Amino acid sequence: MKFAKFSAVSAMVIGLATAASAADYPERPINMVIPYGAGGATDISARTIAEPLGKAVGQSLIMANVTGAGGATGSVAVKNAKADGYTMLFARVGSHSVNPAMKATLPYTLDDFRFVTVYEINPFACAVEAKSDINSMDDLIAKVAEGGVSYSSSGVGSGLHLAGAMVLDEFGVEDPLNAATHIPQKGGGAAVTAVLNGTATFLCTNSSALASFVANGQMKPLMVTTKEPVVGFDAPTAADLGKPALHQLVGWTGIAGPADISDEVAAKWGEWMAAAAGDEEFVSSMEARGSIIDVMSPEDANAFIQEQYNTFRALVDKLGMRIEG
Amino acid sequence: MSLMDSILAGLSLVGNFEAFFALFAGVAIGTIAGAIPGMSATMAVALTLPFTFSMQPIIAILLLLGVYKGGIFGGSIPAILIKTPGTPASSATVLDGYPLAEKGQAGKALGMALWASCTADLISNLALILFAGWLASFALNFGPPEFFTLILFSLTIIAGVSGASLLRGALSAMLGLLLATVGLDLVYGTNRFTFGDPSMMGGLNFIAVLIGLFAIPEVLAMVWDPKPHKGQTRGLGDDKVTFAEYRRCFKSIVRGSFIGVFLGSIPGIGAAPSAFLSYSEARRKSPNRDNFGKGELEGVAASEAGNNGVAGATLIPLLALGVPGDVITAIIIGAFMVHGLQPGPMMFILNVDIIYGLFIGLIVSSVFLFFIGSVAIRGFKYVADIPRGVLFPGVLVLCVYGVFAVNNNIFDVGVMFVMGWVGFVMLRNDIPAAPFLIAFILGPLLEDNFRQAMLMSGSSPAILFRGPITWFFWGLTVLTVIAIIRAGIRATRTLKRRA
Amino acid sequence: MQNLHRQTLIGLFAVVAGLFLMIVAIPNWVSSPSNVRNIILSPVFWPYTLSALTIVIGLGLTVTGHFSSEDMSQEKAEVPGGYGRLAIMAVVMVIYMFGLPRLGMVWTSMLAFVATAFLVRTSHPRTAVICALCVPLILYGFFAHVASVAIPQGNFVRLP
Repeated sequence: MKFAKFSAVSAMVIGLATAASAADYPERPINMVIPYGAGGATDISARTIAEPLGKAVGQSLIMANVTGAGGATGSVAVKNAKADGYTMLFARVGSHSVNPAMKATLPYTLDDFRFVTVYEINPFACAVEAKSDINSMDDLIAKVAEGGVSYSSSGVGSGLHLAGAMVLDEFGVEDPLNAATHIPQKGGGAAVTAVLNGTATFLCTNSSALASFVANGQMKPLMVTTKEPVVGFDAPTAADLGKPALHQLVGWTGIAGPADISDEVAAKWGEWMAAAAGDEEFVSSMEARGSIIDVMSPEDANAFIQEQYNTFRALVDKLGMRIEG
Repeated sequence: MSLMDSILAGLSLVGNFEAFFALFAGVAIGTIAGAIPGMSATMAVALTLPFTFSMQPIIAILLLLGVYKGGIFGGSIPAILIKTPGTPASSATVLDGYPLAEKGQAGKALGMALWASCTADLISNLALILFAGWLASFALNFGPPEFFTLILFSLTIIAGVSGASLLRGALSAMLGLLLATVGLDLVYGTNRFTFGDPSMMGGLNFIAVLIGLFAIPEVLAMVWDPKPHKGQTRGLGDDKVTFAEYRRCFKSIVRGSFIGVFLGSIPGIGAAPSAFLSYSEARRKSPNRDNFGKGELEGVAASEAGNNGVAGATLIPLLALGVPGDVITAIIIGAFMVHGLQPGPMMFILNVDIIYGLFIGLIVSSVFLFFIGSVAIRGFKYVADIPRGVLFPGVLVLCVYGVFAVNNNIFDVGVMFVMGWVGFVMLRNDIPAAPFLIAFILGPLLEDNFRQAMLMSGSSPAILFRGPITWFFWGLTVLTVIAIIRAGIRATRTLKRRA
Repeated sequence: MQNLHRQTLIGLFAVVAGLFLMIVAIPNWVSSPSNVRNIILSPVFWPYTLSALTIVIGLGLTVTGHFSSEDMSQEKAEVPGGYGRLAIMAVVMVIYMFGLPRLGMVWTSMLAFVATAFLVRTSHPRTAVICALCVPLILYGFFAHVASVAIPQGNFVRLP
């Protein structure tokens, strides 16, 4: 069996190669998987940081969009990749805290990944169409009681889906799943369009996705989930409304690798991210889109995601939103 | 500010070498990328995006628009030459383009594709400039019920591309609809035919199915019977489209352009259905309809007019509402935002110079497309001279690379191979592949919009009849179905009389 | 080859496929949550509708095929060695799929190119071999370095 011999020899060569590579990682380009489509919030965020990050890494970063199933396809690709630090994932609130909380059949859990950083926080905002007679959260809740209110999302198990239910629940709506109808759409752009053309009453999504519609007077913000007001959004914060629990409802983007990447690799990423996030052009272009740049250390990132996951998981269990099929 | 002032402001913004160079480079990049199967126009735009971060906003956007327009045309080159649509939008072009190439008239088909593309592009751009506001507010009337009826009507296209037997076409469409159910359910998020495989959860990749269905069966047919083609080359043939031919197809081109403008201005449909609808309308109206599918120049013209007619019009919802019409415009919206511009009604007031700058750039891009397209045709014509014994293995390898590149997923290559066998079996049994493809595109749209409408109304079917738009499409659907049935009965009678 | 018309066979196949979907595939492989409020919103509604339509169309094909005089075997039904070559091609595809992540896309493509070229009995064997070496490399260069796609490299020989 020539082939067997050949592969045995090669396996040894590769073994040697990996042993050597821990010290001088990275010695070749790193594949960065973006689990969402081109042009989406994750994609733009990832491609914006790729520029300064590439300089910090000293190797080129190969960006690969692997889309499908709300981020699951790309996440699994990284979960199954070799844990050598040459395949990393841009993880997002949808793929790594909402999806694991909601979907029983998801082919991965949070334990399959090791987070090296979370670098961007994006507040959520709720909004209605500008001509709507709903002017505040109180109006919205009153309307829900009357019935016929619906909210759109980018799909079942997306951050938007959970956000809509969580906001209604926090504002004291009994049985929010049946009091308001969830109308899932395909993608975040379609979710906003659904509110614009009257298919749905309201939606809660990343402020960056709404910014231009608010600025153009097409949509009316009702609230933002942060403590501090968000520039351009003339709406009360969750703190103003006395709903501190909603502070957990923020979007984020981070970088993760398979669970067994080495400590050296994680540490290197910590250094690189600190360097990359200092880049002024990066910070200004991200902030122009309503994001807050806040580079977390690997430990902080893990704690942050775990806490958000637990909050979401508790809510999902309470409302019976878990998808078993 | 008067119209003249706006135009002058726009001109001052784009009236420089850089802007025109960006546009020119964009069209060239797009044409080449579109011509490579698997490198869709979407990918080309996505790849260009990071390079535009450091440019001036108007130059960045012109570059991206150039790539977009070039990409949509470029896709027709491999569709005609090797039966492998470079982009989904050009899959309708395959139907008549490839038979023309088989007859040794590839040059003519490519030439007509170019003329039709440029004409449609121009009409689409003019529609954008003149009717943006009006079409955008019209598009906002399209909720799930309106969509549902529009898609239902579009499914009648299947009759137009079924070839000899309507029933076999319908069966092919059913297979396409069934295959499109693979993936996660829209409303409940549960698994449908995924077998727990994360790659199946996202549904089958559209481009993998497309290339598998069209290109791979050709390779298999060659493996099945290598003899008749042995060592043969086809040659490009006469590559001039005469003015008489252009005039003959002009009506179809204009009709296709307007179909493109209409479908393009409604967010969420895209260029491929538009190309098929334009094709089937052209066939219905044409005196030589029997020749459609066997290498009819008018079919190529109609398909290309249909898909390029979308290109300018998708900017209508983008600029007037800030809503992306398809994936490509979603990326372009990203580019606007990177530069701190917020597309939407306010942009016509705040950044009127940019809007008119874009308009001027778009008009110029049609001209660039024509020149770059002519050069590209001359460059790619050598493909037709490659002996088949070398060409077909090359096509196979090219498809593998291309399909992998779409989503960086080896699974998609497997999907392509399996669909290749399905396509081969269909080819051997005279089951047409085009209805399969149309159904595969439209099926999820039909189901999703139906269910969204039902969610809106609390499961009352009355919502499917709300407003004049739904009535209009219901009416069209009924009329078309009656026409199809009558044509079917007539065809059976003539057959019987002959027998 | 057969007494039944080809179209009748296709129709029968469609009926069987539709029945298979309705009886086996949909109940087993489409999961529907228990709290579905309305049958038309259920995940199984659409697949069932499609299966039913497939059966109807299949019946239509069976019946019309029986009365049809259309000659559907215009091509030669049998080509010497055709099935054998198709079988080899199927094996080539399976090996191709197997080799992509292990050997790497470039090397596997070279092998597949050669195999296919000889399978179609190319009349330019030398050109085919040269192309088999060049085409995958050029494509690699384009996709990996111009389009920055992470082309699978495999476990053995890594390209820059």
